[in-house]
Amino acid sequence: MDRSEVEQRVVKVTCKVLGVDPEMVEPESHFVFDLGAESTQSIELVAAFEEEFGIEMDEDAALAVDTVGGAVDFIGALVE
Amino acid sequence: MRLILFDLLDEKRYHFDPLALNRPIWELRCGITSLREKLVAAAGTADVACFVPPYMADFYREQVDLPVNDASQLTGDDLLLVHPRLKAHKVGDLAEGPSRVVADAEGRTVAVRIERADLEKLDAGSVEALLDSARAQLPKGDPAPPSWNYTWDLILENPAQIARDFQALGRSGVEGTIEEPKAVRGGPADVYVAPGARIHPMVVLDASGGPIYIDEEAEVLPFTRVEGPCYLGRRSMLLGANCREGNSIGPMCRVGGEVEESIIQGYSNKYHDGFLGHAYVGRWVNLGAFTSNSDLKNDYTNVSIALDGKRPIDTGSTKIGALIGDHTKTSIGTLFNTGTYAGAMALISATGKPLPKFIPSFAWFLEGVVTKGFGRKKLYETAQAAMGRRQCEWTAAEEALWEAVFQMTRPQRDPLIKIGRRMLAAQRM
Repeated sequence: MDRSEVEQRVVKVTCKVLGVDPEMVEPESHFVFDLGAESTQSIELVAAFEEEFGIEMDEDAALAVDTVGGAVDFIGALVE
Repeated sequence: MRLILFDLLDEKRYHFDPLALNRPIWELRCGITSLREKLVAAAGTADVACFVPPYMADFYREQVDLPVNDASQLTGDDLLLVHPRLKAHKVGDLAEGPSRVVADAEGRTVAVRIERADLEKLDAGSVEALLDSARAQLPKGDPAPPSWNYTWDLILENPAQIARDFQALGRSGVEGTIEEPKAVRGGPADVYVAPGARIHPMVVLDASGGPIYIDEEAEVLPFTRVEGPCYLGRRSMLLGANCREGNSIGPMCRVGGEVEESIIQGYSNKYHDGFLGHAYVGRWVNLGAFTSNSDLKNDYTNVSIALDGKRPIDTGSTKIGALIGDHTKTSIGTLFNTGTYAGAMALISATGKPLPKFIPSFAWFLEGVVTKGFGRKKLYETAQAAMGRRQCEWTAAEEALWEAVFQMTRPQRDPLIKIGRRMLAAQRM
């Protein structure tokens, strides 16, 4: 899966879980400060990424990722 | 004679989960004392050693002043090996007489008496080897004695056991203080208030149905009603509670609301209103305000519990509440279904309706599904903070034990996390 596909799907999941419009989501968007993710939504995001990509993410490492671009990098490495 | 307590990993040990995930079964409480205290008292010896599952040995060594998993204890004296499932009142019968092996109704060894002279022909290299060689070489003795088979056996026996323990301890009267106006029902011999314990004004102690034992430095605040049989542990508090019959509350608990025929191991809080009935609650549990459990089904049929999350086991009783493992926390308004298994180290958020009957250990139960949440490290931090508030230390050995429990409980948890992911995804569609 190439990076652009990962990015597209990360944005799609982020919009669904956080209820934001795609145009608000940039690679540098911070899940909490820019997109308003609350603590339980962070957990939902991890679960949603796992479901979307069919992967298992270490929760400590995954929750340390705080931007959309960081999530793309993190997931991209797992689906390589 | 040396008493050897043994609690080894076997296919039925999970019958005492989630409470036995992080402690030997003999540390479970029934009545006023633990099973261990009863077994040791019944054996009548101070020479005691124990064998526990290897993953909990280091932590347990920190907890007790006993030899733990030390094979050198298996020689040099007459031995009485006892499994904690054996009810203590049978131990006295086994402390004497010839070497023999005693099994329960299912053929599982619950006790072995070995005279010193017979030890030479047995393999005492490990407790497992000793048990195997004893089973092979020693005669079978005594018909199947009564034994504990599940955690709920302790719950159901608790009221009668409090009464028996009260009698065995032989204490009564008021060595602490009961402030006026007071209301004590039942005979003076049925109430014991230990030194340092304080009963505030406007408290009802109703011992007409069984004895009440208030242990040292416990405190009972106004408008609490305590119905015997009841045990309130050291430095525990009842806060305007409706403490109905048959409760054993261990040390350092804070309990309010309505509690009936339940066992709380210790160091746990149920500070606010909400009903807890026929439940067993571990240590370091916090039940949020209005957390309640059902303990009776609407059709009055027996309660079943799936201890492994898959196969429900008929408890044989119409009244069983929740089994709640150590360090589990519930949010405000949590509703536990009849016969719920809530694992250890779980964080449970209410949904507004009764929760699933099986919540695995280390689950972050959010939005009605099991998730990975913020992971176990965050749970450890919370545990550390809770323990620090009571001047207790979270040690490296304890963390290692919980790491082992995390791995052991993965097969129960991981499938539910996957289901949870799918359910969350479906909710968003």
